Amino acid sequence: MDPEATSDTSAQFYDVRSPTGETILTRRRLTTTLGLNAYDLLKTPPGDPKAADLSLRIRLRYDADFGVPGSVTDPTQVNGFVPGVSQGLVDIMYAYLEGRRFLKGWLGFKLGRQYLVDALGWWSFDGGELSLTTPYYLKAEVYGGLEQRGGMPLSTSRFESDGIWTGSRQNFGTSLYTSFQPVSLGPAAGAALESTGVTWIHGRLTYRRVYNTGSSNVSEYESGVVSPAIYPEGLRIASERLGYAMDTDWPGVAGAKGGVVYDFYRAQITHAYGSIDGHFGQKVTVSADYDYYVPSFDGDSIFNFFAAEPMNDAGLRANVDVDRHLSIAAGGHVRVFDVQTAQFNPGGTSYSPSPNYNVMATYFPTNGHPFDEGGYLHARWRTGETNVALRGAGDFGDEGQRVGADLSGEHVFETRYVVRARAGVWQWKDDLRPDRDATTVNYVAAVGYRFAPRCQAMVDWEHDINRLVGQRFRLMLLLTLATTK
Amino acid sequence: MTTLRSLSRAFVLLPIFAVLLVVPMALAEAPQPLHGVAPLPNDQKVPLKLLPPGAFDPDTGPSDVIYPTQQLTVRFNHAKHIAKGIGATCKTCHKAAYKSASAADTLLPKGVVCDSCHSSDHEDTSKVKPGDEDIGQCAFCHIGHKATDGNAVAAVDVPRANLLFSHKAHVDRNIGCPQCHGAVEELELATRDQLPRMRGCFHCHQMSDAASQGDAKSACDTCHFRGDRGTGIKTMFASGTLEPPSWMHNSEHTPDFIERHKTVAADDSGYCANCHKEDFCTDCHDGRVRPRSVHPSDYLNMHAIEARMATQKCESCHREQSFCLDCHMRVGVAESSPIGDKDSGRFHPPKSVWSDPPRKPGHHSFEAERNLNACVSCHTERDCVACHGAQGIGGGFDPHQNGFVGGCATEFRRNARPCFVCHEKDDPVLARCK
Repeated sequence: MDPEATSDTSAQFYDVRSPTGETILTRRRLTTTLGLNAYDLLKTPPGDPKAADLSLRIRLRYDADFGVPGSVTDPTQVNGFVPGVSQGLVDIMYAYLEGRRFLKGWLGFKLGRQYLVDALGWWSFDGGELSLTTPYYLKAEVYGGLEQRGGMPLSTSRFESDGIWTGSRQNFGTSLYTSFQPVSLGPAAGAALESTGVTWIHGRLTYRRVYNTGSSNVSEYESGVVSPAIYPEGLRIASERLGYAMDTDWPGVAGAKGGVVYDFYRAQITHAYGSIDGHFGQKVTVSADYDYYVPSFDGDSIFNFFAAEPMNDAGLRANVDVDRHLSIAAGGHVRVFDVQTAQFNPGGTSYSPSPNYNVMATYFPTNGHPFDEGGYLHARWRTGETNVALRGAGDFGDEGQRVGADLSGEHVFETRYVVRARAGVWQWKDDLRPDRDATTVNYVAAVGYRFAPRCQAMVDWEHDINRLVGQRFRLMLLLTLATTK
Repeated sequence: MTTLRSLSRAFVLLPIFAVLLVVPMALAEAPQPLHGVAPLPNDQKVPLKLLPPGAFDPDTGPSDVIYPTQQLTVRFNHAKHIAKGIGATCKTCHKAAYKSASAADTLLPKGVVCDSCHSSDHEDTSKVKPGDEDIGQCAFCHIGHKATDGNAVAAVDVPRANLLFSHKAHVDRNIGCPQCHGAVEELELATRDQLPRMRGCFHCHQMSDAASQGDAKSACDTCHFRGDRGTGIKTMFASGTLEPPSWMHNSEHTPDFIERHKTVAADDSGYCANCHKEDFCTDCHDGRVRPRSVHPSDYLNMHAIEARMATQKCESCHREQSFCLDCHMRVGVAESSPIGDKDSGRFHPPKSVWSDPPRKPGHHSFEAERNLNACVSCHTERDCVACHGAQGIGGGFDPHQNGFVGGCATEFRRNARPCFVCHEKDDPVLARCK
């Protein structure tokens, strides 16, 4: 067995100021994680790729904001209470037992809280996953359990579908904060088929269904102010989606990637993308990208019903590896939006218009496809001890603009003394509120000491300056620890 | 007359003198070509056809991390030794390779292999005896050796490859040396450039990684060291950090990889997991400290503009109705913020433009159509229902998009909850979706 304990700690001290300049929050925040892992529980012979493998991985997190005033977490303080903020002080990021290559390589499994990453995005659930890797270039996977949801013990809301403000309603009555929905279990199941074993092409077809359970507040006003209407308990779809992603390479010549997500609840494609890469020798890669995206939300959310139109992004980019130390990447893109240019008829042609649609719609833009454009230039120079990076970007749209660059560097002296520095200048332009234009100047200075393998202590000082909020300082203390047998 | 004769003699003899003078000088100045110090004479570029399979044209050589830099202090002419006159084969000098099961094995020949032809004696390396002929002298092979150096020669340094590799396994399958090393027989000195390219390995290593399929596995840990703790393969070496090449899923970790890694991970997160543990991903995707590699400086103050432009899709890392909303409520910029914290300023354009009828340029409906996620990061459903709720609940401003009724039966059947947020249960409009 190969045990391992790790920990990452950050203490942050900074102020948050409102858009009008006054200090709103004085943050003293401590975030620390504890990882407890045990690898090679079966003592796999080294160098044997066929041998079964069993490991246990756990990571806990404590995230405390000591700057939160009591009124924020006290439901009786209507002038300050924010539901949900006090939740999730401690959470289990993941904790699972993983087996690989059992039954002569056919069987793999994961049991416990785990992540799943594929065309449907980042997701986490408590349950089990079983995979069968066949010799026929195909891997099958099934999984089921409960979606990790905020407001439940040792959980965060990061991985549940968006669009619903949810959490524990413990300690406050049903008539308060009716938009804040009670947390409920989210039974979930999914399956995937994935190609395997071939290096030049790969694809994964994935399906997942998640349910909402329990009751939910609905009526917000007439009937809801005193006694909100409660939607009956019962299983209802939170999300049901089918996704496919693929990647194929002609090594050294070209490659292509693509993916699509179909949302069964909305009965439409909500995401599709593709990219083509052309390699010109080992040093130059030129790519073209396309991305189609429609916002989609949890089945409980009203936001699915709003007239959100798709975004269509098209871009070109290139990377040049000048030598083994210097790489430069640059790209440009156009984002085309769709907007309403005439009155909608939500009922379609087979229905008479809704009696209340667009009652005040007296203006429509003539251009139904406004677009934003932008580009970036990134460069990196690195050796074993030194890393210098430039990240510059410019984005220009009807709502605003940003142009600027950050220059950062790190150097490690004598393999243990770490020095970091960063400086940036950005021009922000807010076309919806011209008085919010600002130029920000920023610098960061940090020093650290690597006192053991994978162990480092660091002090990081950040100073931001802009005319809207004046000057802002952030002090961070970072500690990384790791120990093994 | 005498003068004329002397001149004619001189005229005849001049070319003879010229030949006698210039030719020896020319011969003396032309350097003897020194063979075996580079792959090809005069350090010519090695053509692609002589490089190992998988090499590029132009080629930057094999991975520095897998094959650390070497110090070759011996000159050697492979082509000459393999040619008919000598007739050596790969096995003559690299016999050990045919039985080697580890990349850690030393496969360069020892000096005694050379002795039979070079008349030297390397039996005792502390007292090597040079041969009588030129080819037996130390300096003939050992670059930089001087007579005053005695027995001392510069050491050859060929670090072990950071790979799992069995020459024997490949030889047993009748895989010849050129299939991995290229046409060494046509080269003089064989350098790192003749070491295998991963792209060439893939010609055979395409088989399934399930246990029952073939032996030429394509699993990464077939050739790469298994990761120390929880990763598929080891990536940190004294010679550098192993990173994927551009030709493999275009996953080279270029300066802009953070913007485009999503397409690699969405397709095959297991590929990423060969090198990265979850911690690496969650530092950003479930992180609590702003990653400077993602957001530019002063982002806390200025992120609203970028969120509105959706330059980076916030929802790829943040849940809007918790991460964004919680903070927006606390700082008082959200409509649902506690009364005591309500910001004195106004986030949106003037009400007369943003929300008052009649609709005009700059109205929030167009912003919502373009980027609804920006709305969801601040507003709860109550804020929207106040105006968009159907008659009897809200103001009755229909938010549905064109043709909504055509598909609403599916949504109603799967989850009717959001319908009842805006519509009374007996609202006749709902009948269209039932």
